[in-house]
Amino acid sequence: MTRDILILALLDGVSYAGLLFLVALGLTFIFGVVRILNVAHGSLYACGGYAAATLGLWLGGGTLGASLAALIGASIAVGVVLGTLLMLLLRRFQDRDPILQLLVTFGAFMIFEDLQRMIWGTQPYFVADVVNQMGTSEVLGVVYMNYQLLFVPGAAIAIFALLQWFLKHTLTGRQIIAVTHDREVATAMGINAKRIAYLTFIVGAMLGSLGGALASPTTSLVPGIGADMIVLSFAVVATAGLGQISGALLTALMIGLARSFCVYLYPELEVVMPYVIMVLVLLVRPQGLFTVAQARRI
Amino acid sequence: MFKNNRFYMFDERQTDMLELENISADIVRAPVLRGIHAGLPKGSICAVVGRNGAGKTTLLRVIMGLVPLRNGRVSLDGTDLSTVPAHGRARMGIGYAPQERVMFPTLTVEENLRLPCQVARFSRQQVDERLALTLEVVPQLGEMLPRSGAALSGGQGKMAALGRALMIGSRLILLDEPFQGLAPALAAQYADALKRLQQKVPDLCIVVTESNGSLLKDVPDRILHIERGALLPDEPLVTAENSAAPTFSQMETYP
Repeated sequence: MTRDILILALLDGVSYAGLLFLVALGLTFIFGVVRILNVAHGSLYACGGYAAATLGLWLGGGTLGASLAALIGASIAVGVVLGTLLMLLLRRFQDRDPILQLLVTFGAFMIFEDLQRMIWGTQPYFVADVVNQMGTSEVLGVVYMNYQLLFVPGAAIAIFALLQWFLKHTLTGRQIIAVTHDREVATAMGINAKRIAYLTFIVGAMLGSLGGALASPTTSLVPGIGADMIVLSFAVVATAGLGQISGALLTALMIGLARSFCVYLYPELEVVMPYVIMVLVLLVRPQGLFTVAQARRI
Repeated sequence: MFKNNRFYMFDERQTDMLELENISADIVRAPVLRGIHAGLPKGSICAVVGRNGAGKTTLLRVIMGLVPLRNGRVSLDGTDLSTVPAHGRARMGIGYAPQERVMFPTLTVEENLRLPCQVARFSRQQVDERLALTLEVVPQLGEMLPRSGAALSGGQGKMAALGRALMIGSRLILLDEPFQGLAPALAAQYADALKRLQQKVPDLCIVVTESNGSLLKDVPDRILHIERGALLPDEPLVTAENSAAPTFSQMETYP
């Protein structure tokens, strides 16, 4: 019995870590290039989830293809629309105090949260066709949903690998690396940093909404999920070190697992656990777990 | 006195490649450059010498479009650069090596070097040609190419930054304090590279900034002294004959 619980906690943790990683990845990716900690990323998660559920209902969700199309279509649409809106808003506060920029994204988050209540109301949404369509598997005696067991972590790892490849081997990716590292030098090398920032913002926004879309079939959508997720993904990003992509993967796994073991073993610690990890890590390494020391200068 | 035939540089009729007309620029509303006026001809190596905070770096950043002008005009071969956005200036053949060597650490040195040409949409063959030229001028880069941009020492980083500026800078190269912190042997190699460059690309205009003029030895054809954002009256030409020593004393005695 205890063994089953441990296996369940492990599988839950891995699945949750996949979602957490996607959202945190978007957050850290945007921070790297635009240097803004985007609180409104939580809205992207929430709206991605709602949009996926709505699109799923509208398409009927009769087949696996339709369900997946709803998830992917919703994340792209929400990412592009909300990402563009946010980018246009933040452009007005370019080169201003980072605290002000943070407050602007927080204000945008509140507005999006209300818009989301206006559109989808406060009743819980739950559309789980895709989970049923993917069936179940038995893992060491525990029956588990394929969607959470394979699809969500698989999608997270596939996107991680794709992004790493993209950054290393495409011209656009290298331009993103250049702007992340030093915007001014990148500009002097002929890189249009504004265009790269816009592109990065949209990609990061789509990762946030994809996280929400992938989460939507496994949780009921209620107001406030955006806030929960943004705080948790902040914890991941801060623990890993701002801008660290590979670090975010490991940290998301660590925090995802810690959280899910708490859910099964010490439920009263569930909420506090990620922050305990974050605080302990930051006490020892204030720059985050995976931030490499600055390359030495002269 | 003028052993080489470079005296024409001071001939007003000679059209200048880079023209700085009455340039003023502010940083956070504090004036940093005040009415800089200078013309640099093709094929010259010009040094901008002044102490820290005199505005040397800002002058280069203004030419790159990284700091907006309050007043004045910068033109390259007659093109007013205010019509060209900062990211479009590399494509015009301006290469810039900032003072803090900034090789992108997750790319190899070769990827770092190729990047500006790729961004400018050079063909693969053109990039290879530029790389070959760069390696002729800075042969020390050859063995660094496969290394990570993060794995270079200070001096190597300066060499690599020169190489990267060279890759795209076919008309004008701006080098910010390249000799600062270089060991004497490396500084000599760096100076040799600049001379080779001048031979191989005779039309290239090179601007070097330095706070310690004595480090420049006989590299520059012309020295502009900058003090609190303004140019001081022209100094006599520094050549091998009147050597580095007197120039050094002149530089140190400025108020």
